[in-house]
Amino acid sequence: MIHVENLTKYYGDYAAVRDVCFDVEKGKVVGFLGPNGAGKSTTMRILTGYLTATSGKASIDGKDVFRDAIEARRRIGYLPESNPLYSEMRVDEYLRFRGGLKGMTGRETKNRIGYVVDRCWLGDVRRQLIGTLSKGFRQRVGLADALIGNPPVLILDEPTVGLDPSQIRETRKLIKELGREHTVLLSTHILPEVEMTCDSMIIIHQGKVAAQGTLDEVRKQHQGKTLEDVFVQITGAVD
Amino acid sequence: MRPTLSLIRREFTAYFLSPIAYVVLTVFLLGTGVLYWQAVELLTERGPRGVEYPMSVILGDGGEKINFPVFWLVFLFVPPLLTMRLFAEERATGTMEMLMTSPVKDWQIVFAKFVACFAFYLLMWLPTILYLPILMDLKATFDLTAWTPFAYVLVGGLAVAVLGVLMMPFGWVGRGFLIALVGAAIAAVGAYLHCAKDSQHVVTLSAGIDPWPVLTSYIGVIAAGVMFLGLGLFVSSLVRGQMIAALISITLSVPLILPVLWMPGLDPSWWVSKGLSYITVPYHFEKDFTRGVLDTRHLVFYLSAGLLFLFLTVRSVESQRR
Repeated sequence: MIHVENLTKYYGDYAAVRDVCFDVEKGKVVGFLGPNGAGKSTTMRILTGYLTATSGKASIDGKDVFRDAIEARRRIGYLPESNPLYSEMRVDEYLRFRGGLKGMTGRETKNRIGYVVDRCWLGDVRRQLIGTLSKGFRQRVGLADALIGNPPVLILDEPTVGLDPSQIRETRKLIKELGREHTVLLSTHILPEVEMTCDSMIIIHQGKVAAQGTLDEVRKQHQGKTLEDVFVQITGAVD
Repeated sequence: MRPTLSLIRREFTAYFLSPIAYVVLTVFLLGTGVLYWQAVELLTERGPRGVEYPMSVILGDGGEKINFPVFWLVFLFVPPLLTMRLFAEERATGTMEMLMTSPVKDWQIVFAKFVACFAFYLLMWLPTILYLPILMDLKATFDLTAWTPFAYVLVGGLAVAVLGVLMMPFGWVGRGFLIALVGAAIAAVGAYLHCAKDSQHVVTLSAGIDPWPVLTSYIGVIAAGVMFLGLGLFVSSLVRGQMIAALISITLSVPLILPVLWMPGLDPSWWVSKGLSYITVPYHFEKDFTRGVLDTRHLVFYLSAGLLFLFLTVRSVESQRR
């Protein structure tokens, strides 16, 4: 569903992403792991068309993200790391705008809003201004926006950051459920999150893929260590 | 098409969610209102004093009493204030990322934002139409015995249009607008047929003062708006801060507006003043538009500059996908 081949991105002389290759199969939830600044957000931004790559290929559902950008973007629901929203709009107003922006008719959007509002527990705040919402609710609005077009692929950049423990648990449960209908690529640096929600994982370090495979495969490759030990071994080569 | 409409609607309604729009509307209406009052004063003056072209009091040099382009000093600030937030705010809050990862082309984003600010600009001018019956000394004579089928078409169309407009505040915005448009079209056809085919007319309009300069003034104002709004939009796409966008576009508008202040003192055969006369917008209005002259040089200048700025804006947005 997501195909990335030799993706490289330079910011001036600094290589944020180097020769990254991976594939995500349909219906899988894949954790995209790595320390801060490893190139997770950059890779996701390239996949969603916000940035261009210096070289390499990437495609979503067979649509090249550079050549066939609009079609590729149509297949992605994206939740950016900072989750920017229009604070002066109301929640359902915002979702209606986003639905229209994704090319849905008024009727489709209306039906779909009913569904995503249910799914993301937004029923009580539908008429509230986004600017007055708490961080947790804002995150849910961002998720609802990613879901509104019913895209086959969801790209979620740190979806649980800044949430309280019960919200984190709810969000993880939701992502696991979404994994049944959508292909999900989610970035995080919280290991238990990967263990709880993901089928397989990709560890990225200093712009390179350091390990990838299903959770068991990765454990096996590293002599049955816990994921935390694997992660520290790969990324924390300080001592 | 649908994404573009959705964007236009959001950008347009966003104007009414910020205080800036109301401030601009108020200042603009105060400015034109004072000048309108001035024009009426001159029109009703006894004796040999008076005014030949009422529109030149408003858009030209302000008539004998003021003799200063008051309107253009206000106008210098209006388009920059309308365009400053369009891109700068999105960049500052990060919502640009949401916009650019949506399945819309870059030119659609630019086009939608331009249409939204242009629509607001037209809306800003709309109330000034109320001044026109007096500035043109418009008289309507009714002859209710002259009803013909065409007159019924005209009145029926008007009724449908009014119905459509009345529907809009009650949550039927799109449908109401469509009905109003259809009604207006029917009314226009009816009016044309009634005017051309019938010998007697229900309403006869006659203007005591030539209405042509009024029409050319409005054409000029709309075309100049394209240029100034395009400039503001381009500047807004380059910077992050709204205030900075406004200040830069005001600064860039200065050479297009302010030379009119010192132009009377320049030797008109000097090449500098010739050059200035090509680009100074208030000068174009003073000499041509408000006197009923439709000089295509000015129109071509405004529209091509506006298109150039829109093109540059698209390029600037594209270049943000580094």
